[in-house]
Amino acid sequence: MKKLKVLVEALNAKALNAPPEWEEREINRIFVSDLISDILIAEGENILLITSLLSDQVLRTANVIGASAVVLVNRRHVPVMLGKAAAKQGIALFHTPLPKFESCVRLGHLMESA
Amino acid sequence: MSFAPQPAEDMSLRIQELAGSLKIRDVMTRKVFAVTRTCTMRDVQTIMKNNAISGVPVVDDKHVIGLVSVHDIMNAFEQGWMQDPVAKHMVTGVRTLSEDQPLSFAMSAFSKFPYRRFPVVNHNNELAGMLTLRNINMALIQELSRQLDAIETESGRMTPAATSETCIFYRIYRIARFDFEAGGKASGELREQLQARGIAPKIIRRAAVACYELEINIIAHSYGGTLTLYIDRDRVRITANDFGPGIPDIEQAMTEGYSTASDWIRSQGFGAGMGLPNTKRLSDEFVIQSGVDMGTMVKAVVYLGNGE
Repeated sequence: MKKLKVLVEALNAKALNAPPEWEEREINRIFVSDLISDILIAEGENILLITSLLSDQVLRTANVIGASAVVLVNRRHVPVMLGKAAAKQGIALFHTPLPKFESCVRLGHLMESA
Repeated sequence: MSFAPQPAEDMSLRIQELAGSLKIRDVMTRKVFAVTRTCTMRDVQTIMKNNAISGVPVVDDKHVIGLVSVHDIMNAFEQGWMQDPVAKHMVTGVRTLSEDQPLSFAMSAFSKFPYRRFPVVNHNNELAGMLTLRNINMALIQELSRQLDAIETESGRMTPAATSETCIFYRIYRIARFDFEAGGKASGELREQLQARGIAPKIIRRAAVACYELEINIIAHSYGGTLTLYIDRDRVRITANDFGPGIPDIEQAMTEGYSTASDWIRSQGFGAGMGLPNTKRLSDEFVIQSGVDMGTMVKAVVYLGNGE
């Protein structure tokens, strides 16, 4: 289990929507996919969702599976609307310019370290 | 879109019912451009052009004595008859409908005769309006949406009479084809409802995902339909009904990885062929019925007591 704050910092990710207590959220599992059909099969609690999808549906899907946070990878810029939509649904949303592979490698090391 | 008339026998019961309850008077165009027998073909052509219509009735003291269609105008143009009075070239013996007749009567008239429009007369046999297939289509669509609206509004407020007193929440959502924007509305509300009742997160998740999968199925694969949520103390029941096209091979549709999704649907991040298998996996009870050209019904039940 890792603090969301630690994971977000490791990715140099910027917040698009940061609910007040986001730094305290714990992450048990990380799920990476660009296919909504696959995200819907993700099991577990306290999930951090990593994706390069930019549609509203990603947020809705994250909400449906009860994900704790979403990081959009490979994105230097993100439509402002996404941040607003995330705020509406109370989803913690971040973006990082790091590519997906790089992001996963960093998160993998972190999650494996005790 | 084809305007080929539907034989009355092929219409769905629902449409027949609607068509029986509406009168031609409720549906026809009342603002009619008519001419008298001394007007020229040129006059009619001008009226058609200015008002974007394709048929003009000819009246004598409000009684319909003929009809001029675009076809007649083209013919007159070719033959050099544009300055002739309409009486010379109009179609006579025009079949009219009466404004008191039910709409179903008009619909069978459209399938019986090759005409694209009928003048409508009142009980004094005077011209009162015009009826086209477009009028009928619009009226039926409006009436259907009005009835759906009423069902939708009502469903959020009260529990259906047929259900037991244990019902906690009941709502019907109307879902339109390809409206991905609206996908997640029902599952979002379901999640809120269950959270407010302190249901275990794991169960909320199963119910919400099952609901979302069914919402997306209606959006991506059907012509539209409804999704009904019913929550009581022990379970959530999600019922998805759509208007077609139906699933020819349910076993195939239930196979992981089998999908009929188009490239566009895939570009939205869907279409991995996991929707129905995933819904079944997450549900404690699962029923699917489908008829080709009729529609699909899926019922998924999630028990609220499991996994706590």
